[in-house]
Amino acid sequence: MDHFPLNWGRPRNDAVDSYSTYPITQRPNHAPKDAFSAGIQHTQQPIVTGTSVLAIKFKDGIMMAADNLASYGSLARFRDIQRLHAVGEHTVLGAGGDMSDFQYIQSILDELMIDEFAAGDGHALGPAEVHNYLSELMYARRSKMNPLWNAMLVGGFKDGQRFLAYVDMLGTTYSASTLATGYGAHIAQPLLRRAVEGREDTLDEEEARKIIEQSMKVLFYRDARSLDKYQIATITAAGVHISDSLQIETSWSFAEGLRGYGAQTQ
Amino acid sequence: MFLTRSEYDRGVNTFSPEGRLFQVEYAMEAIKLGSTTVGIRTPNGVVLAVEKRVHSPLLESSSIEKIMEIDSHLGCAMSGLTADARTMIDHARVTAQNHSFTYDEKIKVESVAQAVCDLALRFGESVHDEEAMMSRPFGVALLIAGIDELGPQLYHTDPSGTNIRYDAKAIGSGSEAAQSELQDKWHKQMTLEEAQILTLRVLKQVMEEKLDQHNVQVAQVTAEKGFEILDETSLKNVIELM
Amino acid sequence: MQHAFAPSASHPQPQQRQFNPYSENGGTILAIAGANFSVIAGDTRQSEGYSIQTRYAPKVFRLTDKAVLATNGFAADGNMFVKKVRQRLEWYRHAHAKDMSLRAIARLIQTMLYARRFFPYYVYNILGGIEEDGSGAVYSFDPVGSYEREACRAAGAAQSLVQPFLDNQIYFKNQTPAPGTSHPAHLPLNHVLSLVIDSFTSATERHIEVGDGLEMYVVLAKGTPLQGLDAIQGITEMTATDDGERMFIIRRNLKRD
Repeated sequence: MDHFPLNWGRPRNDAVDSYSTYPITQRPNHAPKDAFSAGIQHTQQPIVTGTSVLAIKFKDGIMMAADNLASYGSLARFRDIQRLHAVGEHTVLGAGGDMSDFQYIQSILDELMIDEFAAGDGHALGPAEVHNYLSELMYARRSKMNPLWNAMLVGGFKDGQRFLAYVDMLGTTYSASTLATGYGAHIAQPLLRRAVEGREDTLDEEEARKIIEQSMKVLFYRDARSLDKYQIATITAAGVHISDSLQIETSWSFAEGLRGYGAQTQ
Repeated sequence: MFLTRSEYDRGVNTFSPEGRLFQVEYAMEAIKLGSTTVGIRTPNGVVLAVEKRVHSPLLESSSIEKIMEIDSHLGCAMSGLTADARTMIDHARVTAQNHSFTYDEKIKVESVAQAVCDLALRFGESVHDEEAMMSRPFGVALLIAGIDELGPQLYHTDPSGTNIRYDAKAIGSGSEAAQSELQDKWHKQMTLEEAQILTLRVLKQVMEEKLDQHNVQVAQVTAEKGFEILDETSLKNVIELM
Repeated sequence: MQHAFAPSASHPQPQQRQFNPYSENGGTILAIAGANFSVIAGDTRQSEGYSIQTRYAPKVFRLTDKAVLATNGFAADGNMFVKKVRQRLEWYRHAHAKDMSLRAIARLIQTMLYARRFFPYYVYNILGGIEEDGSGAVYSFDPVGSYEREACRAAGAAQSLVQPFLDNQIYFKNQTPAPGTSHPAHLPLNHVLSLVIDSFTSATERHIEVGDGLEMYVVLAKGTPLQGLDAIQGITEMTATDDGERMFIIRRNLKRD
C-alpha cells in the first residue's frame, strides 16, 4: 500500500513530487482531465492525515498500536490525536488516512452502538459485526465516488474468539494474524510476520508488546510522517484496554558516525 | 354502534365487523355472471374450454377472445369482467418474459399464478399523496394452464388473490353444475382427447344455446406443442366425437 | 460570447482530482469440466502491488449443492458480487421453491454484471458445477457479462500462463493424435486434478501474485463413482444432501515467496 494517503486511489506518478514535499494547496495535479467529471465534484483529498496502524494476534487476544500524530502534508500538525477507538466492549478500531473522516466514522459507530444498546435485545455487536458494517459503509461510499479516505484495522475478542481484519477506502477487506496499514504495511508487516506467524496461540501479552514496541520504533526511525508518541490497545476476554500515550526510546548517536550527509567539517 | 352493511362495503380497505371485505366478495359475484369456463388436467396436458355468448346474430363470434397465451408453455382462460383480465395477462406475460430473460428457463406455472395473484391484491394501495394504482379488485377469475418440470398443471386464481391448483375446475355462471359433473367424470388416467370431449360435454350441459364450433373455444397445453388454441376443423372433430 | 461556466481570472480553475474506485488484487482462478464432474480452483493470496495483503482470502465460493463460483480481479467488488448473487439465489428459492440450475445461475450472473455496464464490477467470474442433464460444466464471464459455456478456463493474474497450458492439455491444441487414434473428449478426474495442481505450482513459480494456498472444489454428478477421490490428502467432503451431487474441497499449500 502507498505510504502517502494523499496518493491513495490515484494513478501512481513518481515523476512528479515523489517525496511529497509540496504544501497541500500547491500540490501538482497530474490526474488525467475528464470533461464529464467537471460537473460534480464529490471527491476530496485527505487533509489532516494519520500514518500506520499495526496489529497482531496473540495468545489472549489482539494487540494494536498507532502513534498520536496527525499530519498536515509534511507538517506535524497535531501531536496528541487518538487513532485507536474503542467500539463497544469487545472491539477496537485503528485508523490511518484522513482524520476528519475517521472522526466521522467514530461518530457513526458510537451512534450505532447506542442504537444497538437501546434495542436491549441481548445482542451486542462484536468485532466481526463492526468490521462487516464498516466494510459495507466504505464500499457504499466508494461506489458513490465519495470515499471515506481511510485504511483501518478492526481488532476484537468476543465469545472466546479473536478477530482481526482490515478495511479501506475502496471497501477492500482481508484478515490475517498480523496486519499493518500505510507505511507499516511495507516496513513493519515483514517484521510482524516473522515474529508472530505460527506463534499466535503461544505468544503472551508481554512478548506481543515487545514485538509491537520494536515495530513502532522501526517505523518511527523510517517513516517521516510518524511520531515517537503512540498508544497500544489490547483486546482480550477481559475487554478493551487502550493505554496512555507511550514514548519511543530512541538513540540517534549513530548519526555522528555517518559521512556523506548534512554539514560536516571533514 | 356498528355501521350498516352498506357503509362497510364502500372502502376496499375496510373489513366489516364480521371480518369480511365486501368489495372483494362482490368481485367474486361478478365472476358468477360470467360465461362458463372449464379446465381439465391430464397426464399428457391441460385442456381449457370456454363458452362464447353470442347474444346477436350480427356479432362476429371469432372476435370474442376468452382464451389467451401467456407464454409458449402457458395458457389462460377467463370468466367475469374479461376486460380486467387484459391487465392481469399483460402482467403474467411480462413476468414470464422477464423470467426467461433473467434465468434462461421457462417460468413455472405456479410462479405465474402467484405473480397474477400478487397483482390482484394491489387494489386500494397508495402511498400517502399518490393516486391509488388500482381503485377496485379485479372482477375476473382465471384458469391458468401450463407445463413445467413438474408436469401439466391447472391453477385457478380469483379476485381475493387466492391461487389453488386443481385437477379439473369450472368457473362462471354454470360453474356449480359443471364442477359436480367434472367431479363425477374426471379420472387420473384421462387422455387428452377424453378431456377435450369432457370439457365440451360439461359446457353443453350448462349452455342455453346449442353448442357448435362458433360458440365455444378450446385450447390445450401439451409437452410437444405447448399452448395452442384449437382451430375450427379440429374443434368440429371434437364436437362430432361428443 | 462568454460562456457561463468559463473560468474567469478572479476564480481559479477548479482543481481536478481523480479518485480511482478500483484496485487489482492479483491471484488466479481456474475451472475444468469433465463428463460428469467439474473442478473449480483458485489460489488464496490477496495482494496489491508488491504487498501481500493476506495469504488466505478465498476466491472460490460454494453457491448451491451443484454450483461453485470463482471470482478474480478487484477483491471488494468480488466479495460484494458473490454476496449479491447469493442473495438472489435465496430470493429465487423463496419465489420458485427450487434451487436455481447452473444454466440459470449463469444467465443471472450475466444480467447482474450487465446491469452495472457503466460502473462495472471489476471481476472476472468462472462458474462451475453440474448441469441439469448431469454433465460437468464451466461458464466463464467478462466483467460486463459476456459469457459462454466451455470445457476449461483460467482467469486472473496468471491467465496468460495457465490458459495456453490448458489449451494444449485439454483441447489438445498443437497435438496430433497417433495414426488410428483420437484425442479423448473428456479427461478422467485424477488427470484433471493433477493438471490443476501443476497449473498452480507453475503459476506460483513464475507469477509473483500467485501462491500461498490452493483451494480446489470438486463437484460430482449424481451417482458418479469417487474415482479415488477419497484417498487424496487434504480433502473434505461438503455434500449437503444424500441423493444429489457430491461436493469436495481439496486444500493444498503453495509456495509463499
